[in-house]
Amino acid sequence: MRGDRLVWAAVRATAAVVLLVIAALPALADLRIDITRGKPEPMPIAIPPFGGGEAQVGSDIAQVISNDLQSSGLFRPIDARAFIQNVSAGEGPRFADWRQINAQALVTGSVQPQGDGRLRVEFRLWDVIAEQQLAGFAYTTTRANWRRIAHIIADEIYKRITGEDGYFDTRIVYIAEAGPAQKRIKRLAMMDQDGANHRYLSDGQSLVLTPRFSPSAQEITYLSYAQGTPRVYLFNIDTGQQESIGDFPGMTFAPRFSPDGNRLVLSRSESGSSNIFTFDLRTRKPSRLTDGNSINTTPSFSPDGSKIVFNSDRGGSQQLYVMGADGGEGKRISFSSGKYGTPVWSPRGDLIAFTKIEGGTFYIGVMRPDGSGERLLTQDFLVEGPTWAPNGRVLMYFREGRGGAPRLFSIDLTGSNQHEVKTPGDASDPAWSPLLR
Amino acid sequence: MSVMTMEHGFAPGRAKSLKMPEGIALSATLHVGILAADLLGLPNLFRAPPLEETPIAVQLVTIAPETKATQTNPYRPMPDAKPEPPVAPPSPKPQAKPEPPTPVPEPPASAASPPEPAPPPPPKPEAATPAPPPPPPPPKPVQAEAPPPPPAEKPRPEQKVDPAAFDKLVKNLQQKKPDPAAFDKLVKNLEEKKPEPAAFDSLLKNLTRQQTAEAPDAPPQPHRVAATAPPSSQPKAPLGSQLTASEIDLLRQQLIPCFNPPFGAKEKPDLTADIRVVMNRDGTVQQARIADQAQYGGDQIYRAIADAGMRALRNPRCSPLRLPPDRFEVWQTFTLGFNTRDMQ
Repeated sequence: MRGDRLVWAAVRATAAVVLLVIAALPALADLRIDITRGKPEPMPIAIPPFGGGEAQVGSDIAQVISNDLQSSGLFRPIDARAFIQNVSAGEGPRFADWRQINAQALVTGSVQPQGDGRLRVEFRLWDVIAEQQLAGFAYTTTRANWRRIAHIIADEIYKRITGEDGYFDTRIVYIAEAGPAQKRIKRLAMMDQDGANHRYLSDGQSLVLTPRFSPSAQEITYLSYAQGTPRVYLFNIDTGQQESIGDFPGMTFAPRFSPDGNRLVLSRSESGSSNIFTFDLRTRKPSRLTDGNSINTTPSFSPDGSKIVFNSDRGGSQQLYVMGADGGEGKRISFSSGKYGTPVWSPRGDLIAFTKIEGGTFYIGVMRPDGSGERLLTQDFLVEGPTWAPNGRVLMYFREGRGGAPRLFSIDLTGSNQHEVKTPGDASDPAWSPLLR
Repeated sequence: MSVMTMEHGFAPGRAKSLKMPEGIALSATLHVGILAADLLGLPNLFRAPPLEETPIAVQLVTIAPETKATQTNPYRPMPDAKPEPPVAPPSPKPQAKPEPPTPVPEPPASAASPPEPAPPPPPKPEAATPAPPPPPPPPKPVQAEAPPPPPAEKPRPEQKVDPAAFDKLVKNLQQKKPDPAAFDKLVKNLEEKKPEPAAFDSLLKNLTRQQTAEAPDAPPQPHRVAATAPPSSQPKAPLGSQLTASEIDLLRQQLIPCFNPPFGAKEKPDLTADIRVVMNRDGTVQQARIADQAQYGGDQIYRAIADAGMRALRNPRCSPLRLPPDRFEVWQTFTLGFNTRDMQ
C-alpha cells in the first residue's frame, strides 16, 4: 500500500512535469515575419585616410580601396569633406558622427613603418548602424606592395558586406593596340585590375591575340604570329620565357587552360575545317576532341573540368555546344537566330558568357550551361571577348564604337554597372586573372 | 532503518514517528514544488534566448529621454483602446504578466555572462605576415544619440508581481496536496500570458492594485478606461496570438526600404536569415540576435544577409517599428526572417 502511494506520487509528479512542459511548448509558436525583398542600393561607406606613421601611404591606400569599391557599383564612398570625426587620430569610431553623414560602414586603419623598412598595415571594417566590428586584419609587406595590400583590403570589405568573394587583387592581361589599321601593332600587356602597374610583355614585333591566364596566374597562353603562322604560345610571367606549344601542323589558335592548369584546350585548322584538341603540358601530347568538316573553335572548360563549351557551325549557323571534357557529340545549347561565339564558362559554373551577333549588332550576354535564361547585358557596333572576374559576378570585354577605337569595359551581371577600364592606349582581348594569392 | 535514522541523527522516538513512505511522499511533494519552480522559469528556455541580455536594454533606457522627445509615439492612439471594452479586465493583466517572467529574473544572471558580441577577427590566412588580427575594441560606446529610445516606462509593477505570485503558488502547492490539474492550469496561464483564469487573476489582483495605487502615473489610464467602458460589438484583436495581415504588411513596408540585400543573396533567394528580436514597448529594438550562429559563422552569404537584416532593423530611418502598441505582448519577442525571395 505504501508502495502504491509512492508510485501514485511519482506518477502524479511525472504527470505534472509532462503537463508543464507541454504547457510551455506554445511559447515556441513565436510570431514570425518574413521580409522577402529589399531595396538594393550602393552602400554608403566612409573610408578616411589610414592613420599611423605613414600619412601619404595611408591616404593612398584609402583612396585605392575607395576606388575599388566604387567601381563595383555596390558601394558609394562618402566624400571625405563630409567626415565629422578624424579617426586617423587613432581614437575609436564615434558611430553617431558617422551615422550623421549616413554612412553605414566605416573603414579605419593605420600604416606603421617597421624596423626592417617594411610596413604594417591594419584595417577594421565597422558596421556603423550595429556599432560593431565586421572584419579586421593586419598585413606586413614591403613598401612597394602597398597597392596590393589596398586591393586585398578592398576584397575583404567586399566579401564581408556582399557575401561574395572579391576580385580586386587581380590582374588583366590584354592586347595593347597602336598604329594605323594597315600596320597595326599588337602587344601583350598586363596591368592591375584597376589599370595600375601597367607593363608590356611583348615588343610588338609580331602580332599577338587572345591571351589567357593560367589558374596560377603565373603563365599566359596566347596566339602569336612570331614564326609567320599563327600558333599557340606559353609565356611565363616571372621568367619572361616564351615557348611554342606542340608540334601541330597548320594553325593553332583560341587556347585556354584547363582548371587544373595541366592542359590546354585549343583549336587547330585542318584543311578548311577546325577542330578542338587538348594538349597535356606534362606529357606534351595532344588529344583530339572533335572531328568533322565543320568549324569547331573557342573551347572553354567548365570550372570542374568535366565539360567544354565551344562554338560550331555544324548545324548550319554558328552556335554554342557543350561536350564532355573527353570529347563526344556535343549538345547544342543556343538556339536563337543570331550567331554565337567566344563562350566562356563562369568560374562559379553557373553561367556561360558569350558574344552574339544579330542584325549587324554585337552583344555580350550570359546563359545557363543548359542554354536557358539567356540575358544580353550590353551591345554596340562591336563588343566582344568576354572574360570573367574570379568571383563570377563581373565581366570584362572590349568595345569599339562605329569609327571609334577599341577599349576595355567591365559590366556586372545586372548589366547596370558598366564602366571603362583605363588603359594607356587602344585595347582588346582582355583576360582576367584569378585572385593573386 | 534504524541505521539510517541513526546516521541522520534522529532520536529513535522521532524516527519512529516519521515513517519512511511518508518521508518519501513529503520529499516527492517538495520535489514537485521545486520542479514547479523550475518549470515556471522554463518557458524562457524555450523562448528566444536574447531575453537574457536585457542589461543592455537598461543602459539604453537611461539614454532614452533625449531621443524620446522627438519620438512622440504616433502609434499610441487611445481611440483604439476605448472601443475595446469587452476585453477590459484581461487587458491590464497580460501586460502585468508577460514582463515578470521575462526581463526581470534574467538581468542579474546574464549580466555577467553575455557581454558584447565583438567577434574577434579570424586570423588572416592571406595576410602577408602572421600579424594577428587586432583585438576588437569596445564596440559599444553607448552614444548619447543611439537610435533606440526605449522610454523608461513602468515595467516595475510587474517585477514585483512575479516573485510574490510565484511564492504564493509554490506555497499553495506545498500546503495543499499537489493538484496537477489546477497547478498546470495556473502555470499555463502564466506561460501563455492569458488572463482568463480566476485563480491566477485573484493572485495578482491585489498586487496590481497596490502597485497602481503606489504609482498612479499617467500611462496606465488605458486599462482603466477599458475596464469601465461598455462592451463593444467589435471583438478585440489582441486576443489573437498574431498580428493581422495588414499590420504585418505595414511592418514589411517599413523595413523593406531599409533592407539592402547583399549582392550574393540573389544567388540564394530562399536563404533566410532569422533574427530574433526583443522589442521595447515603444517599438524600438531592445535586443536583436541572429538565430543561427553556426551558419552565420560558416556561410558568408548568410552572414551578409543577416548583417543587412540587422542594419535594417536598427536603421534610424526605420525605427521605431510600426507595431500596434496595445498588443505589445504579441510582438514583444518575435522572429524576423530576411531573404530575397520576391526580388528575382
